Amino acid sequence: MITIALPSKGRMKEDASAIFARAGMNIVSVGNDRSYRGRVEGWDDVEIAFLSASEISREVGSGLVDFGVTGEDLMREEWAEVDARVEFAARLGFGHADVIVAVPEIWLDVDTMADLGDVAAEFRARHGRRLEIATKYWRLTQQHFSATHGIQLYRIVESLGATEGAPAAGQADIIVDITSTGSTLRANHLKILSDGVILKSEACLVRARKPEHEGNETVAKIISAVRAAL
Amino acid sequence: MPVAKLPTFAPDLIALFEKRGTSRIETPVIQPAAPFLDMAGEDLRRRIFLTESDTGASLCLRPEFTIPVCLQHIESATGTPKRYAYLGQVFRQRREGANEFYQAGIEDLGDRDVASADARAISDAFASLTLALPGRTFTATLGDQSVFEAVVKALGLPTGWQKRLIHAFGNAMQIEMLLGELAEPQPAQPLAADIEAMLASGNLDALAAHVEETMHATGYLTNASRTPREIANRLAEKRALAATRLNPKALDVLEEFLSLDLPFADAAAALAGFADAAGLKLDGALSRFDARAAALANAGVDLKAITYRAAFGRPLDYYTGLVFEIAEAGKPAVLAGGGRYDRMLTLLGAKDHIPAVGFSLWLDRIELSKGAAA
Repeated sequence: MITIALPSKGRMKEDASAIFARAGMNIVSVGNDRSYRGRVEGWDDVEIAFLSASEISREVGSGLVDFGVTGEDLMREEWAEVDARVEFAARLGFGHADVIVAVPEIWLDVDTMADLGDVAAEFRARHGRRLEIATKYWRLTQQHFSATHGIQLYRIVESLGATEGAPAAGQADIIVDITSTGSTLRANHLKILSDGVILKSEACLVRARKPEHEGNETVAKIISAVRAAL
Repeated sequence: MPVAKLPTFAPDLIALFEKRGTSRIETPVIQPAAPFLDMAGEDLRRRIFLTESDTGASLCLRPEFTIPVCLQHIESATGTPKRYAYLGQVFRQRREGANEFYQAGIEDLGDRDVASADARAISDAFASLTLALPGRTFTATLGDQSVFEAVVKALGLPTGWQKRLIHAFGNAMQIEMLLGELAEPQPAQPLAADIEAMLASGNLDALAAHVEETMHATGYLTNASRTPREIANRLAEKRALAATRLNPKALDVLEEFLSLDLPFADAAAALAGFADAAGLKLDGALSRFDARAAALANAGVDLKAITYRAAFGRPLDYYTGLVFEIAEAGKPAVLAGGGRYDRMLTLLGAKDHIPAVGFSLWLDRIELSKGAAA
C-alpha cells in the first residue's frame, strides 16, 4: 500500500486534488466529506491521508508516508539534509511563496546582505544587544545568514504569526518570512534585500526515499502521472 | 551511546595546572543559553543541546568553558589578575565524535602584560600536551589579528572598509569577496532626489530629520532599533565606501600579507621586511609581535615548533589578537586551541576592560591519539 499525504483544507487541498484529477487520479473521501482518509478511484493500492501542511512535511520526511504534497519551504525548514531524505518529484505550480529577508524601508543604507552584515557587526556596540530577526524559519535563516553570507552575529526571535509587524512594533529589527505578492510587506513598510530571497518555494510532490520504492510500479506510475498533468 | 570517560591523565593535568599557579574552577553543566548564542551567533544553536526551564528561560548543556568561567568571574567580583583552570565535560551535537566529551584548559584574566600572558598560554598548552602524550612532537600554528588590523589601518582605507575587513578576518571566502569589491566598486543605487540632494550637500542633520519624520509617519518607533541618526550616518559612510577603489598596488600588498605562511622564528623579520617594502608603518604591532616572540623564548617554548600564518584568525568580534592551534606533527587533528579575547568580558557585562587569553585541550582527541601509534 502506498500512502499519499495531501493538505486537509483550503486552497492547497483544492489545487492538489485538481492536479491529481488531471493526472487521472480521482481522489474521494472515505466516509463523509470531512473525513481525514481518502482513496483514489481505480487505484486500490493507494490510500490518501489528509493532514496539515506542516504535518505532511514531518510525515514524509520521516518516511511515515510515501508521498506528500507540501511546500518546499516547510520541508527545507523541518529537515537537515532534506535532499538525502526525500525526492522533490514534481513542482506543482501552486502555493508559490518566497522566503525572504526584509528590513524596514527606511533603512535607506541597507540594500544587500553585505549591508546587513555591516549593520549586524556594529549592532551590539551601538545598542547593547545583537541584531534581532523575527522568523519561524530558524534553519533557513541560519543557512542564509551564517553559511551563505558569513553573518554570525544576530539573534532569532521566534515569531509564529504576524511576523511582518515585528519591526514596527519594536519586537525585532528585521524579519525572515514568506511572501507571495509582497503586499503585506509594503503595507508594513518593509523591503526585500536584493540578495535576500532565500528560497522560491511552491507546493511540491515529495517522495520519501525508501528502499522498497525501488522497482515499485505504483510509485513510478504516480510520479509520471502527476508530472504529465502539469 | 558511548560513555565519556575521564581520561587517565586527568589527575596529572590538574596537578600541572596547579603547579602553574592557577586556581581550579567548577561551573554548572546546565547554563543559560543566551550568552553562548550572543557571543558565537545563532549558528551555534544547531550544535548545542538546548532546553527550556519551567519559566521559559532558554538553557543549554555547557558547550565550552570560556564563557561560563568568565561569567562566574564577573559574578564573583574577586578582581584580577586571575588564572582559572578547568577540567570537565562539554556537550555538543557533532557529526563526528561523541556528543559529550572532556575539555580542560586555562583562562588567564586581567594580566596587563599581554606578551607574557600570551606566551604563558602557549607554553602551558604545549606542556599539557607533552604531559598527556609524552615523546610526541607537536606543531603550533599562530595568527594575530592585531597585525592584520595594523596593515589595514596603515593602508589608509576609510574606516568603514577597515571595519569590514577586520570583521571578516579569519574567513577566507569573505575576505576574498571584500577584496573583489574593493578592486571594482559597484555603483550605488540612486535614492529619491531629495535624499540625494541632502547626501550631496552633506547635510546629515536634515537627512536624519527626514528619516525620523518618515519613521513617525509609517508607525516605526525611533528608539527601538536603528536610530535616524545612525541610518543617515551609515548612508553617507556607505556612499563614501562605494566610491573607494583600492589601488592595485595596495590590493597586492594586502594579498601578499594574507599569504604569509612561514616559520615563526622568521616571522618578525619577514613582517618588518614586508612593512618596509610596502612602505607601511606597523611599528606598534611589530614591536608587540617581537615582545611576544621574546616572551615565548623566555618561557622555554621551542620556536621551531611554531608556524606563523598571517591569515589565521577567528571571525568573531571578541577575538582581538593572538590565536593558536596545536596538533601532532603531520596530523590534522587539533589537540589544543586558544587565543586572546580582550573584548569578551565587557560583552558579557564586566564593568572594567579585562584583557584575557586562554586555551582549551580536546581531551577526547588526545585520548584517541594516545591509543594510536605516534
